Amino acid sequence: MTPTSLQGGGPEPTARAAVVSVAAPRARLMFQSQTSRRLAFGYLLLAPAALYVLLLVGAPFLFSLYLAVSDANVGDPVATFIGAENFRAALEMDVFWIALRNSIVFLVVAAIFKSLLGTSLAFLLLQDFPGKKLIRGLVVIPFTLPIAISVLAWKWMYDSQFSVINWVLSRVGLIGQYGTDSWPIWLGDPKLALLACIAVNVWRTFPFSAIVLLAGFTSVPLEVLDAAKVDGCSFFQRFRHVVAPMIFPILMIGFLFDTVFTLSDLSVVYLLTQGGPANASKILPVLAYQIGIQAGNLGRGAAIALFLVPLLAPAMFLFLRNLRRREY
Amino acid sequence: MATVLEQKVLSQKQKDRRRHLWIYAGLTPFVFMAVFPIYWMVITAFKQDPDLYRMDNIPFWFNLAPTLRHFKILFFQTNYGAWIINTMTIAAWVAVITLITAVPAGYALARLRLPAAENIGISVFMTYLVPPIILFLPLSRVVAMLGLQDEWWALVVVYPTFTIPFGTWLLMGFFKTVPMEMEEAARVDGCGYLGAFVRVVLPVSLPGVLTAVIFAFTLSMQDFLYGLAFVAPGDQKPVPVGVPTELIRGDVYYWGSLMGAALLVGLPVAVLYNFFLDRFIQGITGGVGK
Repeated sequence: MTPTSLQGGGPEPTARAAVVSVAAPRARLMFQSQTSRRLAFGYLLLAPAALYVLLLVGAPFLFSLYLAVSDANVGDPVATFIGAENFRAALEMDVFWIALRNSIVFLVVAAIFKSLLGTSLAFLLLQDFPGKKLIRGLVVIPFTLPIAISVLAWKWMYDSQFSVINWVLSRVGLIGQYGTDSWPIWLGDPKLALLACIAVNVWRTFPFSAIVLLAGFTSVPLEVLDAAKVDGCSFFQRFRHVVAPMIFPILMIGFLFDTVFTLSDLSVVYLLTQGGPANASKILPVLAYQIGIQAGNLGRGAAIALFLVPLLAPAMFLFLRNLRRREY
Repeated sequence: MATVLEQKVLSQKQKDRRRHLWIYAGLTPFVFMAVFPIYWMVITAFKQDPDLYRMDNIPFWFNLAPTLRHFKILFFQTNYGAWIINTMTIAAWVAVITLITAVPAGYALARLRLPAAENIGISVFMTYLVPPIILFLPLSRVVAMLGLQDEWWALVVVYPTFTIPFGTWLLMGFFKTVPMEMEEAARVDGCGYLGAFVRVVLPVSLPGVLTAVIFAFTLSMQDFLYGLAFVAPGDQKPVPVGVPTELIRGDVYYWGSLMGAALLVGLPVAVLYNFFLDRFIQGITGGVGK
């Protein structure tokens, strides 16, 4: 974003130069002043959005770097510089390592399941059949429902006593009656809590994987496929050399987009378990929230949130590269 | 001859039907998985309490007569009405802010041949990917500085941090599809840059602008963290934050009212978003308007 701010004052000097250089041929002068007017107009239009983003995303991001090296807390607004103390303290917390591990497990396990489900769904939706629009509309509901709201439905389905999942499992005979040891308490059992949260994330995002994959497939022009066929490519050659390279950037972007949102989302775990029982489902965003807001230790909370950056950075970098490649 | 042809057509039809059956069979588990939680919310919202909390009946249908009691509780004994109004007002303001910033920015980046426009566009879009969990602590200071803590106005200030980048990117793609000749013709006819933009480009771009408004609405509804962190008073919350934080008190869960509250707002948003989902996917995969 810095280029925006640097170039914000750019056009005026050029405009002045254009006016000053009277010796220049008349046509060039007109052209130049028109160009500079266009640029000035352009930057003027761009300014509100750029300023908003700079002031409320750029500046806060830098400010979070500052918070992380300060002892800022909610009660005491005057923060002093304490160096890497917050990061060191975080690394010494057991719960930090649990949260880091859980975040990574969450990301990887969820990614495996949603790509399996998403791929099979995409291949089904690629076919032509009556009622396709309706079915597609129904299947994507989990992704379009506001997240906090769908998590509530799951909290009710995971209820310790009246869970509908358990009701079915019990009737089928897979688990025992309520109150016996084989009655799973999804959100209260340290072995199950994280899995239960992962299931909600998978449920919410498998339609997204499917739709992104579909968008990839439909972006391959039929003529290109036909041309390859005419040139004597087999099905696998066509897939390997034509389809795969064309859809790869789209898939990559969808995948990275989902990585960023899965890693940084707090609502699923926060609403289902608050990270419990006994930190069994604690992930980094929940820990950052609890320390930063609930315990009021802004500096430490910011430091923990920033530990997400090294996890996110590779994803962001690849995202950027793919986005650029698609642009041209 | 004719009968052979008919037979062929028939067998083709049969083949199609069989193929469709296989596809439906494959899709059934997906549809079930996607829709069941919603169905469960609906039926919970209308069940009487004694019907909700018993294990010996089959729970998938009403064992006692359906009731509207949960909705009555919602509207007369909680702040639900206020949350709906808050949500709508916040979304409307966010949409306005997004429009007056993202429409000009998207146009400038797409049409005015600014140096490095592409890179500026990409960096604006990248800010959409800076997750709220990194920004919420510093933003809590910004909100406090503006004196907006504990008011829903805080969210009006904060939500554009993700709707502006997304809207700008979306509209940039959209403006690229408007034919260049139209503006040139307008300028030859004596319009300035502003005139060409306002009188010629904006009217034909109305669908794109409308899409940006819809996303300002639906993306605001997807937030939970900012609302949770910045707005504490019970009557100032938007629905997605108020329902899970205010309707659950200690260990007492009013599941009927909870599900009703979630549904009333969740379903319309889901339906609206559904219609624009393809635009969203096109937007993030960078192929806007191509």
